[in-house]
Amino acid sequence: MLRVLHNTNVDFIRLWRISTAFSLLVIIPGLIWILVSGFHYSIEFTGGTLEQIEFRDPAPSVADVRSALAAGGLPEVEIQTFGSPNELVMRAQTPVTVARQESGAEAVSRQIKAALDAKFGAGSYTVVRTEAVGPKVGDELRRNAMIALAIAFLTTLIYLAWRFEWRFGLAAVLATLHDIFATLAFMKYMNIEVSLFVVGAILTVIGYSLNDTVVVFDRVRENLKKFPRTGLYELLNRSVNETLPRTVLTGSTTLATLLSLIIFGGTVIRPFAWVLLWGIIIGTFSSVYVASPLLLWINHKWPRATAGSGRADRLAQASRKTERDARPAPVR
Amino acid sequence: MKLKHRIAIILALIAASLWTLYPRTVVERVKRDGVFQYDTVDRVPLKRGLDLVGGIHMALEIDESKTTVPDKSVALANALKVVRNRMDEFGVAEPVVQQIGDDRIIVELPGIDDPVRAQDVVQKSAFLEFQITDDSDALAKALPRLDGIIKARGLGAPAAGRADTAARRPAGLGSLLQADTSDTSRVGADTGARDTAVAAAAGTAGPLSSVLQQGSIPGEYLVASTNVTAVEQYLSLPEVQTALPPGKVVRWSSDSIVVGNDTYRPLYVLDARPIITGQYVQDAQPNTDPVEGTLVTFELNNEGGRLFRRETGRHLQDHMAIVLDQRVMGRPPVIQGAIGTRGQITMGGQDLAAAQDLALVLRAGSLPVPLKIVEVRNIGASLGQDAVQQGVRAGLVGLALVILIMIVYYKLSGVFAVGGLIVYTLITLAVLATFDAVLTLPGIAGFVLSIGMALDANFLIFERTREEMDAGKTPRAAIDAGFDNAWSAIIDTHVTTALTAAILYQFGTGPVQGFAVALLAGIAASLVSAIFVVRTLFLIWLHRTGGVKPVSI
Repeated sequence: MLRVLHNTNVDFIRLWRISTAFSLLVIIPGLIWILVSGFHYSIEFTGGTLEQIEFRDPAPSVADVRSALAAGGLPEVEIQTFGSPNELVMRAQTPVTVARQESGAEAVSRQIKAALDAKFGAGSYTVVRTEAVGPKVGDELRRNAMIALAIAFLTTLIYLAWRFEWRFGLAAVLATLHDIFATLAFMKYMNIEVSLFVVGAILTVIGYSLNDTVVVFDRVRENLKKFPRTGLYELLNRSVNETLPRTVLTGSTTLATLLSLIIFGGTVIRPFAWVLLWGIIIGTFSSVYVASPLLLWINHKWPRATAGSGRADRLAQASRKTERDARPAPVR
Repeated sequence: MKLKHRIAIILALIAASLWTLYPRTVVERVKRDGVFQYDTVDRVPLKRGLDLVGGIHMALEIDESKTTVPDKSVALANALKVVRNRMDEFGVAEPVVQQIGDDRIIVELPGIDDPVRAQDVVQKSAFLEFQITDDSDALAKALPRLDGIIKARGLGAPAAGRADTAARRPAGLGSLLQADTSDTSRVGADTGARDTAVAAAAGTAGPLSSVLQQGSIPGEYLVASTNVTAVEQYLSLPEVQTALPPGKVVRWSSDSIVVGNDTYRPLYVLDARPIITGQYVQDAQPNTDPVEGTLVTFELNNEGGRLFRRETGRHLQDHMAIVLDQRVMGRPPVIQGAIGTRGQITMGGQDLAAAQDLALVLRAGSLPVPLKIVEVRNIGASLGQDAVQQGVRAGLVGLALVILIMIVYYKLSGVFAVGGLIVYTLITLAVLATFDAVLTLPGIAGFVLSIGMALDANFLIFERTREEMDAGKTPRAAIDAGFDNAWSAIIDTHVTTALTAAILYQFGTGPVQGFAVALLAGIAASLVSAIFVVRTLFLIWLHRTGGVKPVSI
């Protein structure tokens, strides 16, 4: 029988200072950077125009294209080659451009084509992809994305509170919040553009990270019943250790599919896959190192906020036991 | 449940999934020799999204910048019908035209790669009117007042300051009144002579009257192309709008005419009341004529025909302008006699495609309100093909890796898990096909991702079974306990993921919804495959070994 991490007995929670330091080291500079310079948002969110064009041979240089667009009244367009030198991506995302799309989203796209036709001739290129988004749609989408994130959070919190107990739910959600911040910081470090697709990836990370935490907490719940006299500290460690093989195995199969998406999935999927890759690594990390210490801390802080429920009683009992254990044994 | 029944259920599931996915004959529009027509084709009933087949996605809203719309929901519902008619006529395999929210229409045209033309067809109001040109010189009489208003606004720089353009400027009002009987060729002959008169007239005449030149038919004025923008600006002034002759409207021609070296844009003064509108158009067809060039012939229904005959009979020898979306099409012809149900619109210099599109929108009806495009996405077909190839390759490699991990790690149990994975894949695809879900590139990504996550349930069960075996249970007892004890964790993980997927579906648009749908289908299938199918495989194995052989896990 091939086994990984079988019967481990690592005191994960003892390492909470190191893990917290690591988390803060990743999250804080990233969040500060985001606050200072913001994200790079995609056309969907800002409004604007993206035009991907493939020139026939001989392809003009980027500088030529830039001057053609400037002559056509579009000096603010960003131009990049995309894969081959024949293929160019032009982005017009400035507030001026977006305002010009108020009365019709297609205006700037047509202007770009007119400018290219004037300089290089109508048949000298083919349009591979166009995205033109008016300002209203962009605003709406940004709002919807925020609402989606908030609702995803709330519903999972409610579900967890119903299935477990609010302390578990809170710990799981805080751990997930940690994952989201760490993922946002990662996106900033990697300069990944925030698109709707990437927001989808963040939502998936939320789901996955909760998944991971839920599995550990499910075991905690079970162990609370099984070993009513054990301290919560020890119990959490035991649960994390017991579920460790599953955590690592699920992580590795998911990572395998994601690596395959990054390598073979093409340019559209790649940023999405990168965000997920990081999110799943950090989600696995957090369910081991963040969620359990958080639960311990929450239980320490509010040992019996709600009276009555049997689960809460057991949890509080376990917590009191922990405190007793932590005290140095009296010397006779 | 008896083993026999379990096997029967699984076989039925597999058969149902295969049947759902089996290529079937459907009637759909296909492109044959460049034309779309209905035909039967065999295909797997999985709809591919725009990002995979290429095409155009548009979002439209009512444009309220020029007109106010009192009842938007009714207007939008009517506009939706018209746009749908037009798209059906446009010829696309599976056009999607639907309302999203309260104020938006979504149009999706798979396989179309000419966004400009598609946008025009969608947006053209196609409001057709027949109006009699003014023969009372109403504008000429109002000109002094209009000039005064424009001057008072400080517009229209003195002609002397622009000597070079003034020399080319065709006429002042004084000279153009002389030309009112001339035909086009005479306008040409006169131009040289008139230019000398211009310089004198321009100095004193008003800003508007100095750039208008009487055309050859009543109510027609010619504006040099260099002055068109200025005249447009003058006419758009609110004060000018109110000072225009009552009961008349001013409309530009849709195309320019060339006289000598200069191009002019005709401007027409028309009776505001149309003698008939396009609502009576029954049929319209593009055509070409050796003399007139491209044109659209149309046919009115009986009611329209009666109305048209009566009105044209009343206006014999008058000129009738055919006005489409407030532009006069061609030069207004003289009404020789009462016209019945048939007529034609000349297209000037435009090509046959333009005539086809005009005929199309005339047939499909006019838009009740102007629409503006708030979003366009156009994906080339080649890009979509690449995306499919890359997505499928990524999926296959991911699948191979996962299968490898499972079999190396869990041996025989891993094989069971792979069996479950095959059923999982079948069910997921069948669910997508059943609900007519659109498979997008993010959808493929979601599917690939869900393969990794689907195995989570297996890991939970298998690891649990190992623990139970460590605790000294028999294979049968260990497997039972493994499945039973993993159940609560499995249901929790699936529900939380399903919740986020559902929210993603609710708030996402097109491609992201595709991702959410694939994820949801995957979650449902994963419950069935991991819990039911894999357990049955174990039960079969236990049955064959008598439950005494240690399980290879």
